[in-house]
Amino acid sequence: MDMNKKIKVCVENLNVYYGDKQALYDVCMDINQNEITALIGPSGCGKSTFLRCLNRMNDVIDICKVEGSIKIDGEDIYNKDVQVEKLRERVGMVFQKPNPFPKSIFENVAYGPRIHGLAKDKIELEEIVFTSLKKAAIFEEVKDRLDETGTSLSGGQQQRLCIARAISVNPDVILMDEPCSALDPIATAKIEALMEDLKKEYTIIIVTHSMQQAARVSSKTGFFHLGNLIEVNDTETIFSTPTNEKTLDYVTGRFG
Amino acid sequence: MSDHLVESYDKQLELINSNLVKMGGLVEQQVKDSLQALDNKDTEFAEEILKKDDKIDDLEKEIYALAYKIIAMRQPMANDLRTVVSALSIANDLERMGDHATNVAKRVANVKVSMPSNSISKIVQMGDDVQIMIKNVLDAFIKMSEKKAITVWDSDIDIDETYLSIYKELLQTMAENPDTINGCAHLLTIAKNIERIGDYAQNIAEDIHFIVTGETLERKSENAGQWEDVDIQT
Repeated sequence: MDMNKKIKVCVENLNVYYGDKQALYDVCMDINQNEITALIGPSGCGKSTFLRCLNRMNDVIDICKVEGSIKIDGEDIYNKDVQVEKLRERVGMVFQKPNPFPKSIFENVAYGPRIHGLAKDKIELEEIVFTSLKKAAIFEEVKDRLDETGTSLSGGQQQRLCIARAISVNPDVILMDEPCSALDPIATAKIEALMEDLKKEYTIIIVTHSMQQAARVSSKTGFFHLGNLIEVNDTETIFSTPTNEKTLDYVTGRFG
Repeated sequence: MSDHLVESYDKQLELINSNLVKMGGLVEQQVKDSLQALDNKDTEFAEEILKKDDKIDDLEKEIYALAYKIIAMRQPMANDLRTVVSALSIANDLERMGDHATNVAKRVANVKVSMPSNSISKIVQMGDDVQIMIKNVLDAFIKMSEKKAITVWDSDIDIDETYLSIYKELLQTMAENPDTINGCAHLLTIAKNIERIGDYAQNIAEDIHFIVTGETLERKSENAGQWEDVDIQT
């Protein structure tokens, strides 16, 4: 691990079960701050489960049991003193399918800061909304139609609106679960360019089925297979000279 | 390693490799023939050799086209990417080897009976060693053997040493008898061409090593500097 990089997320011996079925086996992974880390692997390999553990999204699944430790900035997020709402303020999430609220563009972004009490008045709230939209590289496209409903936007715009919504509550970490799989290549390129910008302020962890996307955007890549983290390394190494034969087979298209 | 999920991808990669082996075989024959023509001072045979270079050039173009196609259509990764990128380099090296063999054949007509026979036989001997290098490097390629590639790489030093000794000898002959300058200059060029063929075989060994390991072959050339004392002794 790079010595001059700060570790933002430290995962140790993570075991996850859905009822009797074990979904993750003893996963250990350090995630650097202000970097993009990509998680790849075939469907059902556990990468999304892993991602969802990082902001305790799995809490809502009754049969899901999580063992091990996940520390963000040294603090165990599964500690019973941790307030899940506060955690999700720090660890935002962007989903595969853009899911704006059926509200105005403005309200989509204002919602989070309002319920978390981040703005003391209307002016401050507006400032947060505008800044978030600017950071998500969508402000110019929507500034004259902030009252229109979020669902009226194109898929790519909706996804950037969701990113604006995620960053409006000032998180440290942004989780992205296949954020571009429903988008065309141009909208995808815009999201990828945006990620490059966002990593200066945030730590980004992205699950993607597109290996080319992982190769393009991330500094580190982790390969999951059957619930095991097979290999994690510099992205360039994963796609050129991976250590593990399974990783090599996967990145070269030898098994799915 | 298992096959690709997409069978046609495997077939394209196999085709690129089989074309390289085919090209290597043609180059091997071309080098062998040009040395035979030189040894026998057989001008007619040398003429035949010149005509065969086009086949090698055509194969190079085919390999280039296929490699570009694979890169554009398949986006190869890891060892597949190294195979395709190295194929471009290997094809280029083989094409150059073919050119050098042709250059040797072209000069056969200039080689006279009166030329120093000792040097000619040394050149032919060097040619034999280069042929072994070619055979071994093609073998290393077919077997994708890092070990065999390193052995080939290391063997180039012997070629370089022989070339140095031929060079010194011819310089000496020319200094002693200026009438031989014209013929010896041709022999020097022939020797240089053969020595270059060895260098290209060495390049291919580096490519094989890269394909297998993903790392460039770092080896120190041990005979650097030996040229410093080469000067015409009068």
